[in-house]
Amino acid sequence: MDLRLSEQHVKFRDELRAWLAANLSRPWRDELRDPNATEDSLMELRRRWQRKLYEAGYLGMDWPAEWGGRGATEVEKSILEAELAEADAPQILNFLGIGLLGPALIHHGSEAQRRRFIPPMLAAEEIWCQGFSEPGAGSDLAALRTSARIDGDHFVLNGQKIWTTFGPWADWIFVLCRTDSKDRHGGISFVLCKLDTPGVTVRRLRQITGESEFGEVFFEDARVPRDNLVGQIGEGWRIAMTVLAYERGAMSLAFAARYERDVRLLAATCNELGRGGTAVREKLGRLFVENEVMRANGMRNLANLADGRKPGPESSIEKLYWSEFDKRFRETALDILGPGGQLERNSAEARPDVDWAREFLWSRAGTIYSGSSEIQRNIIAKRVLNLPTEGR
Amino acid sequence: MKFELSEDQALLRQSTRDFLTSEYPIEKSRAIIEQNRRGYEPAEWARLAEMGYLGLTLPPAVGGQGLGAIELAIVLEEVGRACMPGPYLDAVLAGVLLHAAGGQEALLKDLTAGNRLVTIARDDAPFSGTAAAATRVESGRIRGTKYFVPFAAQVDALLVTTPDALHLVDGPFTVTPMETLDGAQRFGRVTFDHAATRLGGLDLLDRVEQLAGIGAAATLLGIMSRSLETTLQYVQTRSAFQRPIGSFQALQHRLAEMLLKTESTRSAVYFAAWCYDTRDAETALACAAAKAYAGDASRLVCGESIQMHGGIGFTWELDLHIYFKRAKTLEQHYGSTEVQLERALQAAGY
Repeated sequence: MDLRLSEQHVKFRDELRAWLAANLSRPWRDELRDPNATEDSLMELRRRWQRKLYEAGYLGMDWPAEWGGRGATEVEKSILEAELAEADAPQILNFLGIGLLGPALIHHGSEAQRRRFIPPMLAAEEIWCQGFSEPGAGSDLAALRTSARIDGDHFVLNGQKIWTTFGPWADWIFVLCRTDSKDRHGGISFVLCKLDTPGVTVRRLRQITGESEFGEVFFEDARVPRDNLVGQIGEGWRIAMTVLAYERGAMSLAFAARYERDVRLLAATCNELGRGGTAVREKLGRLFVENEVMRANGMRNLANLADGRKPGPESSIEKLYWSEFDKRFRETALDILGPGGQLERNSAEARPDVDWAREFLWSRAGTIYSGSSEIQRNIIAKRVLNLPTEGR
Repeated sequence: MKFELSEDQALLRQSTRDFLTSEYPIEKSRAIIEQNRRGYEPAEWARLAEMGYLGLTLPPAVGGQGLGAIELAIVLEEVGRACMPGPYLDAVLAGVLLHAAGGQEALLKDLTAGNRLVTIARDDAPFSGTAAAATRVESGRIRGTKYFVPFAAQVDALLVTTPDALHLVDGPFTVTPMETLDGAQRFGRVTFDHAATRLGGLDLLDRVEQLAGIGAAATLLGIMSRSLETTLQYVQTRSAFQRPIGSFQALQHRLAEMLLKTESTRSAVYFAAWCYDTRDAETALACAAAKAYAGDASRLVCGESIQMHGGIGFTWELDLHIYFKRAKTLEQHYGSTEVQLERALQAAGY
């Protein structure tokens, strides 16, 4: 057992730190609090930030060299995520494209698709959203009904996607759609669709935070060239599952870094407000402890990746841990802060460091998206604990 | 970078598991709980010495193996799995403390050889937060009363804390047993009027407290792993409503949570042990986190194990309560959760 980073990884981290020090002008929390910031201006900022990262060679690092790869692995990617979190950098704009579609194209796409889609994806010139969930297919994703009928050289799409993260901001959508209504898993295909295609409508959905990061996408006889099929007809489910494995990734170190900053700010606020009683200290202590254990989980996952172990269903443990912790943490913060914890970001009395009200609301999303906590527990029960399936 | 054990470490795990499986089957723990007021069999203590366990982290010069906190965690995880009775962790911690104090080679050799037993006497009151009259040194003699002294009736000497120092005190002692819900983890009340040798200030305890946290958390990890395994077997064989109860989602989701807590404890224990061995700046926080988290996690895992077994889980006959009770002892000692949460906060700078 040895948890030291290798020399090569230390070098990578140190170069990255130096680059961040030189290139990140303001931490994200300050951008958010800028009185002139709007949802649009923040999106533009994220676009510019992504370009910088791309030009510096930090995106697609583990992809083949012609797509920006530099022989990096999941280890460098995890270090990158952790350092970005440590520096409080903005999230890149095209995280769904690069995080999900990129790997799908590299492993399952055609050469022509890679050439067409990967460069503008990396350069944040084309933004992607993810068309998986539907009103009748969330946790039970394979129940999806959006159909793709073949008509000559085209697919004709009909149906509706919902909770489409980045829908209102994207140029393109990757869609799971049904090419065979009888085959539950084998009847699903993976299709790329431009959002300005006639018959495609995007509608914003307002989230409980008041923001509209997600939306819904309607398809009414939208014609998509057959060339935009990724993999073969009926391979969509298999592709989506590999892609979701990427989405879950090894992220504990990055989450621990982000949460630790806020836990520390909460502790400092308590000192400032004279909230040093036993009840408060016990709550704060538990936050530090649980976050530290998340870091330990992250170190373990990182070491396993460096040791050549593929992340398996344990990534469900990771997702469950950080998302459930986030909820407990934000609830606890509001408990400790009292009514002031519920103030809107720009209220005169609001804390200048963390937007506690928004974080509290936002924490409700993590245990729902990308496989709800219930789904993660199902995965652990079936694939790690090998428990029997409930009979009928 | 590697989280998995090295070859030597994996060998240590296997040999310890083999040793404990053959020499400390759970029936032996049960017999000790039911019949042996000493809480272990002193006649068998020398076997631990022969196997090198008593001097695991001490230098070869005093008969030790010179290994680190990771190896200690490996051994204690197995001790937890077997629910081995006796003062193993207490003896190891006393040895580390004596070694840190220096000048105690003869005694250390006796400890690693299993000829003498020393533990640490710290608690000035039986309940948390009721520390009234502390133990003091007056004209060269130590006077006062210590509570929850581990295996006090068997020790040859004690390491005793006063408000500003640590002392070595030779027996014999007058001991009043303090019987608790865990029959294999024996404690006593000791009233002192003894000559004492001052070993140093209380800062000597800092590293030992960190190691105690790792050790207790590692033991809890073994206890949790074993409880979870037992419960997983049970829910797959026990049927209700014509199907194994392990097929019910109401249990599956809780079992998933038990795995999350157990595996997160594993990460925390070995991360803390690694920090301790490399003297990483994060050691204090990592050790406090490991012990506090292990305490919380063991409540859930050992408690749910009993719940999922139903009525049989509440019987004396089933072994689960032995694990449940040992977990409760470990949770309160070696720095209780309350103490560790405060330490974590201070280690973080608040």
